[in-house]
Amino acid sequence: MKTIKILSILMLLFAVKVSAQQISTADLQVTGLTCSMCSNATEQSLKTLDFISSIKADLNKNIFVLTFKKDANVNFDLIRKKVQDAGFSVGGLTANFNFNQLKTDDNGQAIVDGNTYRFINAKNKTLNGTVKANVIDKNFISGSAYKKQSTLIASDAYASGTGVVNGKKVRIYHLSIS
Amino acid sequence: MGAITNALSQELYVFTEPASNMPSKSIGVRITNEGIFNNPGFVNRTMPEVMIGFNKNLMVHGQAFLSDMDGKYRLEGGSFYAKYRFLSRDDVQSHFRAAAFGRISTSRRPTYTRDINLEGDNSGVQGGLIFTQLLHKLALSAALGYAHAFENNDRQIVGLPAPKNMLSYSLSSGYLVLPVVYKNYKQPNFNVYLELLGKTDPASGQSYLDLAPALQMVLNSKTRIDLGYRFQATGNMGDRYNKNMYLIRAEFNFFNVIK
Repeated sequence: MKTIKILSILMLLFAVKVSAQQISTADLQVTGLTCSMCSNATEQSLKTLDFISSIKADLNKNIFVLTFKKDANVNFDLIRKKVQDAGFSVGGLTANFNFNQLKTDDNGQAIVDGNTYRFINAKNKTLNGTVKANVIDKNFISGSAYKKQSTLIASDAYASGTGVVNGKKVRIYHLSIS
Repeated sequence: MGAITNALSQELYVFTEPASNMPSKSIGVRITNEGIFNNPGFVNRTMPEVMIGFNKNLMVHGQAFLSDMDGKYRLEGGSFYAKYRFLSRDDVQSHFRAAAFGRISTSRRPTYTRDINLEGDNSGVQGGLIFTQLLHKLALSAALGYAHAFENNDRQIVGLPAPKNMLSYSLSSGYLVLPVVYKNYKQPNFNVYLELLGKTDPASGQSYLDLAPALQMVLNSKTRIDLGYRFQATGNMGDRYNKNMYLIRAEFNFFNVIK
């Protein structure tokens, strides 16, 4: 009986581990920076996010390599907010996702651990393993790049960054696999 | 990410404020000393200052002024300054920002000159706009302000000017000299500045334009040391205090200290 219990717990753990679709790292391009003091302020602001385990800054390119805590719920909007709080903007965010047989629908949409993603270049596909993708929503890319994407994508979900999933309004992140 | 050109430039102006704000939830502490070489001899003004970044768009400064301009070294007044950034266009290689500012100041000094100076010499209010453009390592900024001095009847000396309003304008440029390549946050940064500082008294038509070169060092990406000098390039406003003036300042920044 005890062994079955332990086994079932182990199996449950295993199942959780398999289904957990993590984001391991991300390259964050910050724009509008003027000096290493500005980079430092941005890094100190990002450090207040509890799902980030480490930050490595390239002061010449203004890229912050973010490493996330295991099984943490990574919130892209909070990353954007912290950069804006420091007085700057996000010019690009490229995240490394780990997907486990993730199926996208006709719109490229899939729900992972409560987060809704829409892949603009992976419709009706199965994503598996490490996938590198750029967040292309408003204020995650430059204003001009967003305008360009808006005419290409031309959807309400892209314009608002939200959509209705199972009768509930949710945040939809638009991703482009690189 | 592709090839990205550096956008490292300097707009931490010494004699003016940029349109950019300090980071949200941060505190900055400054101590500034101004040494003035005229009128009639050498005088000193010290300005302790606290700056707070409330959110990404709003920041405030509180200043106190101490000087020996009227004899004994004493506290002569204070000032409250607020700046609101209302436009921000950030790009990888550049940014453009615009901000509005307001200032209210008090001073117990009598008025000796038409040159209304709300950082120590006059009581009054001021409002204005700032536009800052960053282009690679060069940052350019323009500011326009209008000041109104409060009545000073109880301290007014007969025969001396009693200015009411003042138009101020400035054009500032800053350039990052060192480092050419960043290695870490500990590396010191060196910046050079040249600012044009002008004022016009709309009532008398008197005006002046000062040139103000400055050097700056940023240490550990949080401490700033400024050294500047301003002198009159052209003008016809008499008995100015800050006509020939050096400025030395230390600024200490504490990021994300407000919960």
